[in-house]
Amino acid sequence: MKTLAYEIQLLLRDRAAWVLTALFAFVLVYALNQGVELAERQRESAKTVLDASRTFDGQVREALARQAIDPRQLARQPLSAVLPPAPLPLLAVGQADLTPAFEAVSLWRLQTPTDARVEIENPSRLLAGRFDLAFVLVWLFPLFLLALAYDLLAGDRESGVLRMVLSRGVSPRKWLAIRALARGAPILALALAATWMSASWGGVAADTSNARLLYACGVVAAYGVFWLAIAALVNGLARSAAAAATAVGAVWVTVVLVVPTLLNVVVESLHPMPSRAELVASAREASGDAERRGNEVLNSFYRDHPELAPPGMQVDFAQRILAVQDEIRGSMDPVRLEFDSQLAAQQELVELWRFASPAIAAHEALTDLAGTGYWRHRAFRDQVEGFKQSVYDFYSPRIHKNRPLTKSDVAELPRFEFAEEPVERWTSRVTLSIAGMLALALLAALLAGSRLSARKLAASSS
Amino acid sequence: MIASIARKEFVDAWRDGRFRLGAVLMALLFATASLLAWGQTERTRAERAAAAALERENWLEQGEKNSHSAGHYGVNVFKPVAPLSLFDRGIEPFVGTTLFLEAHRQNQAAFVPAQDATAMRRFGELTAAAGLQLLAPLLIVLLAFGAVAGERERGTLRQVLSLGVTGRSLALGKTLGLGLALATLLAPLGILGVFVLANSEVEASYGLWARAGGLALAYGLYLAAVLLGSVTVSALAPNGRSALAILLSLWAAACVIAPRLANDVVHEKLPTPLLAEFEKELSTDLQQGLDGHDPRTKQMEDFTQATLTKHGVARVEDLPFNFYGLAMLESERLASEVFDHHFGKLWDRIEEQDRAVALGGVAAPLLALRSASMALAGTDFTHHRHFAVAAEAHRREFVRVLNEDLMNNARPGDHGYVAGRALWEQLPEFKLAPLSAERALERAKLGLAILAAWVVATLVALVAASGRLRVDVA
Repeated sequence: MKTLAYEIQLLLRDRAAWVLTALFAFVLVYALNQGVELAERQRESAKTVLDASRTFDGQVREALARQAIDPRQLARQPLSAVLPPAPLPLLAVGQADLTPAFEAVSLWRLQTPTDARVEIENPSRLLAGRFDLAFVLVWLFPLFLLALAYDLLAGDRESGVLRMVLSRGVSPRKWLAIRALARGAPILALALAATWMSASWGGVAADTSNARLLYACGVVAAYGVFWLAIAALVNGLARSAAAAATAVGAVWVTVVLVVPTLLNVVVESLHPMPSRAELVASAREASGDAERRGNEVLNSFYRDHPELAPPGMQVDFAQRILAVQDEIRGSMDPVRLEFDSQLAAQQELVELWRFASPAIAAHEALTDLAGTGYWRHRAFRDQVEGFKQSVYDFYSPRIHKNRPLTKSDVAELPRFEFAEEPVERWTSRVTLSIAGMLALALLAALLAGSRLSARKLAASSS
Repeated sequence: MIASIARKEFVDAWRDGRFRLGAVLMALLFATASLLAWGQTERTRAERAAAAALERENWLEQGEKNSHSAGHYGVNVFKPVAPLSLFDRGIEPFVGTTLFLEAHRQNQAAFVPAQDATAMRRFGELTAAAGLQLLAPLLIVLLAFGAVAGERERGTLRQVLSLGVTGRSLALGKTLGLGLALATLLAPLGILGVFVLANSEVEASYGLWARAGGLALAYGLYLAAVLLGSVTVSALAPNGRSALAILLSLWAAACVIAPRLANDVVHEKLPTPLLAEFEKELSTDLQQGLDGHDPRTKQMEDFTQATLTKHGVARVEDLPFNFYGLAMLESERLASEVFDHHFGKLWDRIEEQDRAVALGGVAAPLLALRSASMALAGTDFTHHRHFAVAAEAHRREFVRVLNEDLMNNARPGDHGYVAGRALWEQLPEFKLAPLSAERALERAKLGLAILAAWVVATLVALVAASGRLRVDVA
C-alpha cells in the first residue's frame, strides 16, 4: 500500500505525466467532437430517406383503400432499404464513411449490379482515415500508456536504485505490478470515461442499451492491460531505459502498424475479390443475351411456371421483362454471390487471426460494438437481398396473372425494416476478443514475472 | 576528418545488431509488399482488359435499335491501372473503377474497391511507399538518436572534442556515415525497383522514368530531412533516452496523427458539398439553366423557333432532317455546360483540399511526401480526374455520333428507324492517354519544394546545433 501511495506521489510530481495526461484528454475530446458531425449527417440522411419512404408507403395504402392499382404502375416507384443509424456512431467510424447505408430497390432493375451511393468525400480523406475515438483508442492510447510506463524498472536498474529497493525486501513482481497500474491509471481512466461518454456526447443520443457501452469499456480495459503487461515484460528484459523505450516502440510498431497491414495483404491475397468490372460487363452480356432470346425465354419461363401464365397467353412488355430478369438471375447469381462469399472468407480469416495483434482484436470489437463494422453491414446487405426477393415475390405473380392490386394486398406490400443482430451474436464475438486480449496480457505478465525474481534481478543489475 | 568520422559511423551502424535486424525486416517487408502489389496490379489489369473487351462485344452485339436507344443502352468504361501503383496505390482503393456512359447524364465512377474489403484496410496498406514513409524514419531514429547524445552520455564526447574535432565536423561526419549506411540498405531495393520497371510495359507518354526519378528525389529528400533532424535532436538532447523520447514523439505526431488531423482540419475549412445538395443543385440547373432565369423548356422552345426560322418552314416535320436528333444534340450541349460547371466546381474543391493538406507538410513532412508520391505514381486525385474528364469527353462524342445519326438518317416522323452494327462500329473504344509526366511533376512540385525546404532547414539546424556543441546539457 505504501508503494502505491509513493508511486502516486511520484506521478503527481512528474510534470511530463501531467502534460501527457492533459494531452490525452484533449485528444479524446477532439475525437469525440469529430465524430459528432459525421454521426449527425448520417442520422439526417437516414431520416430523410426513411421519412420519404414512409410517406410513399402511406400514400400507396391510402390509394389502395380507394381503388385498384395496376402493379406495373406501382412497381415503377423504387422502394428504399435504409440501414438505421449505428447504435454507437461516435465510438468508431469503421466502414460507415465507405459502405452505403441506403439502397433503392426497383422491380425492373433487380438484376442490375447497383452501385449504392455514398456521401461525397475526398478519397484522400478516406485513405487517411478519420480521427475518431477508435483511432485514438487503438493507435494513440497505447502510445500514451507506454510513454508513462515504458520505464517501470529499467531506469532504476540502470541507476542502481533497484538494488537499494530490493535490499529492503520489496517483492519486485508486486512492485512492478503496482507501478504499472499506478502509472497507467490516469490514461486508462480517461480512455474508459471517453468510451462511456461516446453514447451521449454532443447530443448524439445513441439508440442503445448500456450493454454495448459496458462491453466497449471491457475492450478498452483489456487492451490497456495488454499494453501495461507488455511494458512490464519489456522492463523485465531491458537493461536501460533507452533499450526499454526502443523495445516498447518496436512492439507498438509491430502490433499496430505491421501485423495488421500484413494480415490485410494475406487476407486479400488468399481470398481475392472477383472483379466488379467483369461483373458489370457480364451482367450486361447476360441481359443482352436474354433479351435477344426474349420469346424463347418467355415461353420456357411459362413452361416452368404454368401457374403464372396469363389468361390466353396475352403477354405484354412487363411480363417479358420479368421473365428475362428471371433468366438473368439464373446466370448472374453465382457470380454475385461470390463477392459476398469471398468477403465472408476474408472476414473469417480476420476473426481467426485477430489475436495475432490485439490492435486488430480491439479495432474489430470496437467497430462491431459501434455498429459500423463488417457484421452490421453484412446483416444489412443480407436483408436487402431478402427484401429484393420479397419485392419480386409480391409483384411477379400479380403482374404475370394481370391481377390489379386491391385493398386485400395492403397487408402484403413489401416494406423494408432492418432487424438488428440478436444480442448474443455480437456479445459472443466481443467476449472472445476481450478474453483473447486478456490471455495475451496474462502471458506477457507471466513471462515478465518469471524474469523478475529478486535473485535474478540482483544478479543482473550489478 | 569528416570522412574518417563518417567511416567509423558507417561501420558502427552495420555492426549494430538492431540496425541489421531492422534492415533485414525492412527489406523483407519491402520485397513482400512489392511482389504482392505486382501480382495484384497484373491481375487487375487483366481483369479490366477482359471486362473492356467483353463490354465492347456487348456494344457491338446489341442488335438493331434506334440510335438514341443505343445512347440509353450506353457503355461502361474501366479505369486503367497506373503502372507505378505497385509502388504507391494512393487513392486507388477509394475511388470508383467503372464509369457508365449514357445519354443525358454524366455519372460518377462507381464500384470503389474499398467497399469490397474488410475494415482491416483502415489499418493502411502494405506498400513499398508505406514502408518508406512510416517505417524507414523509425529505422533512422533508431540509428541516429544516440549519434551525439550517446557519446555525451558515455563521456566519449568530451574525449572526442578534446582531440580538436569540431562539433560541426563530428555531427556532419556522423550524418554522412549514417546516411551511407542507410543508402547501402536502400540501394538494392532501388535496383530491384528499376529492374521491375524496366521490364514492365508502359506507354511512352506516361513518362515512367521521369516519374520514377521524381519519386527517388522525393523519398531521398524526405529521408535526408529525417536523418538531419534526428542527428540535430541527438546533438541537443542531454542523453540518449531523451533524444529517443523526443524523436519517437515527433514521429508519432508527424506520421500517425498528422495525416488524419490535416484531412479533418482542411475538410472543415474547405468543405465538400453533401451528396443531396450537389444532386439537387445539379438537377435544378439542368432544368432551369445555369443562369436560372431561362428554364430548359424555354431554351428548347427558342431553339426550335430559331431552327424553323433558319430553314424557312413552319413545322418541324417539314425540316429536311429529323428534328429530334438535332434537339437532342442541343439539349446535350446545354446539359454539358451544367455538368462542366458542377463537376468542375466539386473537383476543383477536392484538388484544393489536397493542396491544403500537402501544405501541411510544412509542419509534418510526411504530408508533403504523400502528395508528391501519389502525384508521381499517378494515383492521386488529379489523375483520377483526368480519367473522369477523358471518359466524359468520350461520352459526349459517343452521344453526338448517335444523335447525328438520328438527325440525318431517320426520316422526320419515322419512329421505326433502327441503326445497326455498322453504326456501332463507328464508335471507337475508350482509350485513356496517360496524364503526361510534366503534369504529374507540376502537381508534385509543391510537395517537392516543401521537402527541399525541410532538408535546408534541418541542415541549418544541425550546423547551428553542432556549432555550439556542449559536453554537458542539463
